[in-house]
Amino acid sequence: MVKNLVKHFDPPKRAKYGKLGPNSPQNTMDIIRAVDDINFEVKEGEIFGFLGPNGAGKTTTIRMMTGVLRPTKGEIKLLGLNAWKNQIAVKQVTGNVPEMANVYFSFSGWENLMFIGEIYGISKKERIIRAEMLLKKFDLYEKRTLKAKKYSKGMKQRLLLCMALITNPKILFLDEPTSGLDVQSAKIIKQLIREYNEQGMTIFLTTHDMEVANELCDRIAIINHGKIISLDTPKNIRKITQDYQAIDLYFTDRLDTGELKNLNTIREVQEAQEGLHIIVDDIHESICEIIDYIKSHNIKIKHLSTHQPKLEEAFLKIIERGVKIE
Amino acid sequence: MSDDIFNQTKLKAFFIQLKRSFVITKKDLKIYYNKPPVLIQGILFPIILFIALTLGRTVQPIYLISGLMAMITFLTSTSIGPIVFPWETMRRTFERLVTCPISIKTILVGSIWSTFIYGIIFSSIPLIIGIIFLSTELTINIIIIIAGMVIAGLAFACFSLILSVPSTDTPGNTMVFTILIKFPLIFMSPLFMPIILSPIAFISPLTYYIDIVNVSLGNTSAFGPLGVLFDIGILIAFGFGFLFLAFFLHGKTLERRFRG
Repeated sequence: MVKNLVKHFDPPKRAKYGKLGPNSPQNTMDIIRAVDDINFEVKEGEIFGFLGPNGAGKTTTIRMMTGVLRPTKGEIKLLGLNAWKNQIAVKQVTGNVPEMANVYFSFSGWENLMFIGEIYGISKKERIIRAEMLLKKFDLYEKRTLKAKKYSKGMKQRLLLCMALITNPKILFLDEPTSGLDVQSAKIIKQLIREYNEQGMTIFLTTHDMEVANELCDRIAIINHGKIISLDTPKNIRKITQDYQAIDLYFTDRLDTGELKNLNTIREVQEAQEGLHIIVDDIHESICEIIDYIKSHNIKIKHLSTHQPKLEEAFLKIIERGVKIE
Repeated sequence: MSDDIFNQTKLKAFFIQLKRSFVITKKDLKIYYNKPPVLIQGILFPIILFIALTLGRTVQPIYLISGLMAMITFLTSTSIGPIVFPWETMRRTFERLVTCPISIKTILVGSIWSTFIYGIIFSSIPLIIGIIFLSTELTINIIIIIAGMVIAGLAFACFSLILSVPSTDTPGNTMVFTILIKFPLIFMSPLFMPIILSPIAFISPLTYYIDIVNVSLGNTSAFGPLGVLFDIGILIAFGFGFLFLAFFLHGKTLERRFRG
């Protein structure tokens, strides 16, 4: 649970006082409000997504939740404990994959896992069992003795996840877990996030990737300028763009789009790569009207599909307009 | 393990953190022993300085050994400590480490052990050479010399962590800062000569270590009959002073490593 969480950063020293001097009241304007009074609760066993543009406050929030940064104000409770005051106990039962984190290049994949396991106080016997199981699961077992500096980005990210999971955490924090990864690594990671969640693990993830958020998350919070502006299920968030209805149409022959635009129910016609993207007021009425029109012009349809509102569109709309959903 | 962590006594928690500091030590020794800044400051500098300070001078064997040992112990015991934090910040392993169930003090203590062990290994080399080749000329008190080496090594290791306080992610920046602090300390210490009690020599912890080594090699202490005890007391005080200052300063600057 996150309650009234605030994080302010002091400005860099050079810019701190400027020409005003340290006692000027205007200097309070220089404080960077990275996170500004946010509240949310993550339910046990859910995958909670934290979305927002760059610099919105996602990483600062996750860093406060994982005990890296001290909140300026407010409280974070994890498993009933104040996350800052009981840092060691909370860190013991949580796993973390920071966005900018890396593995130890001088260590092999195996040594990285053994090091983290030992830091968490896991017995040697148990460490070996868990490491073997995880490396096999994440398709790294064959490369376990290779120095991590020779791993690809996807392999390093998978190893970081293994390092977070070797401790059997109750809560797993993932900061941009699939960012910049190849398709295969991203697929393995998404699959395993789902698998661990099904086993009861609570997962808190930040992402830029709408597809990841849509596929994985039970609920999503959207943060911008340090404030949460939306918190709901992906389905409900998508409803924000309900007024955006469209039809994708491909024809066997070329069509005069000017005439099509004049039809009653059609709002806009956009030329797409292989056909047309038609924004409409009413899907049913428009399809009937379009079919009548093309029959009269003896043109054949190659493809017709309706366009469902996407999370990405809803996200952009929320960010642009600052739509607030309680 | 994870279930009883919520109900630990302070003593048990302390021992768990102490145990985990040794895990950090193992990691630091494995990763940093051969890093260029460590090799330059820990091995190359003592050799260069030894040649520079002794070439063309007639130095008595007793001051040759004490000076060499003091310089090696000081430079090697302060070689790993300053680069751990900037190196880990640069390699982006530091945030993962901070989210482990260890405090910043545990990370610092782990680094103290590693830089201390590194220093002791290299300081033993001139000692062994001295025992082999000069034992007929000098009477060496092994207990005093080893006690001095351990206490001074720990004090210097604590000092080295203050040098890594600036929150940079460029080890080169720390190297420059480290040289600016370490070299004046070396030059204000009475290396390869009898201890002259000038006020400037008192500032350097090296002076007290040199005195211990001199006494262990049969010389009299510059601080009177109980000079060795005085030296040990001062080095312990320096060590604790550096340790608590390092805890305080790193606690203050930790967040700056994760801004932006």
